[in-house]
Amino acid sequence: MSAPSPVDRMVARVLLWGGLLSISLVLGGLVVYAVAGHPHAREIVRVIHNRETGQAVDVFTSLGDVRRAIVRRPPDPLALTALGLVCLLATPAVGVAAAAGAFWRAGDRLYAGIAAAVLGMLLLSFGLAAGG
Amino acid sequence: MSPLELVVVVLVTSVLAGGAGAILGLGGGILLIPILTLFYGVDLHYAMGASIVSVIATSSGAAAAYLRTSLSNVRIGLFLALATVSGALVGAALAGVAPTRALQLLLGLALAYSTLTTLRQLRIELPEVGEADPVAMRFSLEGSYYDSVLDREVKYRATRVRLGVAAMFGAGLLSGLLGIGSGAFKVLAMDHFMRLPMKVSTATSNFMIGITSAASAGVYFARGDIHPLLAAPVAVGVLAGAAAGTRLMSRLRNTTVRKIFLPLLAWLAISMILRGLGIGLP
Repeated sequence: MSAPSPVDRMVARVLLWGGLLSISLVLGGLVVYAVAGHPHAREIVRVIHNRETGQAVDVFTSLGDVRRAIVRRPPDPLALTALGLVCLLATPAVGVAAAAGAFWRAGDRLYAGIAAAVLGMLLLSFGLAAGG
Repeated sequence: MSPLELVVVVLVTSVLAGGAGAILGLGGGILLIPILTLFYGVDLHYAMGASIVSVIATSSGAAAAYLRTSLSNVRIGLFLALATVSGALVGAALAGVAPTRALQLLLGLALAYSTLTTLRQLRIELPEVGEADPVAMRFSLEGSYYDSVLDREVKYRATRVRLGVAAMFGAGLLSGLLGIGSGAFKVLAMDHFMRLPMKVSTATSNFMIGITSAASAGVYFARGDIHPLLAAPVAVGVLAGAAAGTRLMSRLRNTTVRKIFLPLLAWLAISMILRGLGIGLP
């Protein structure tokens, strides 16, 4: 029976722990949000159903937005949820980075290069998004 | 609908979408967008943002399990990701300027195509092994896994790699454009064009859809399409569903899974095409 390679094991570990960390943050934010209540809850739901009917509330469009909402007093619980979502969105890129490192350590320079190229394109996409 | 009701119904729906996505290698987005827009009246752009989250959550949950059983092939996944990520970057740039109705029509057509693909594969357990491809030899696009249904080690090698790469660019384009993982098209490219075993195709697709979607996720996030109150229950539900789906897949035949989901895919395709054409549904 075929056993997973060290590269497979490394990538699997990163995806699993990335997913678990993300979900912990997402759930933490949701629980605090539910317990504390929110004055804009109904407005948020109305906008979710039709974005053109009003100004979006609690939508974060940059890491700076998320950071500011977490450090302010009182902190916005949905910012913690948004941080978890950012972690989740970054997990595949971290997985690719882990694959590049694992291939390099295994002496497979070709696939270390291919993984690095994929990672480069992902970082380019993040950079384009950050630049608006 | 109250905020709590919205969170609960989206959570339950996402568990089902995550389970289906993990089994079929679809990522769940192709199911989630129509359900969120048609049944819960969610704005299409927020539904697409939630779908990107769904795809990445399915990928993380399912691929982690499939890599441990050697069903996902990291080399094939990364090699083809070069094409899908390029396509996703182009698609995401176009999504912001495309009108809603055109996107619905395009998604409906994508669903119809998935339905036909699934119909053609209804009775196939393992594809025929094709001739050796020099590109596959050069890039080691091969592997093996233990098939518990067949009770033997299955060895495979990709064929017609150039055709597969072209299809993957198209799959990436759809992913960026529609906020779906376009896993059905990735599975099609690997199963039909490159003649990989179905289970390897769906499992490797699960690994790839996360990478492809991550390329366009930043664009959706910066545009404000990922709303935490909608995306959070999607992420939690889909991850839970994907974990259950990977366990369930090992006990099912591919043919059984296809028979279960074929009518659902067909119905969703028709619904979205009608919406895209401006024909209201009851």
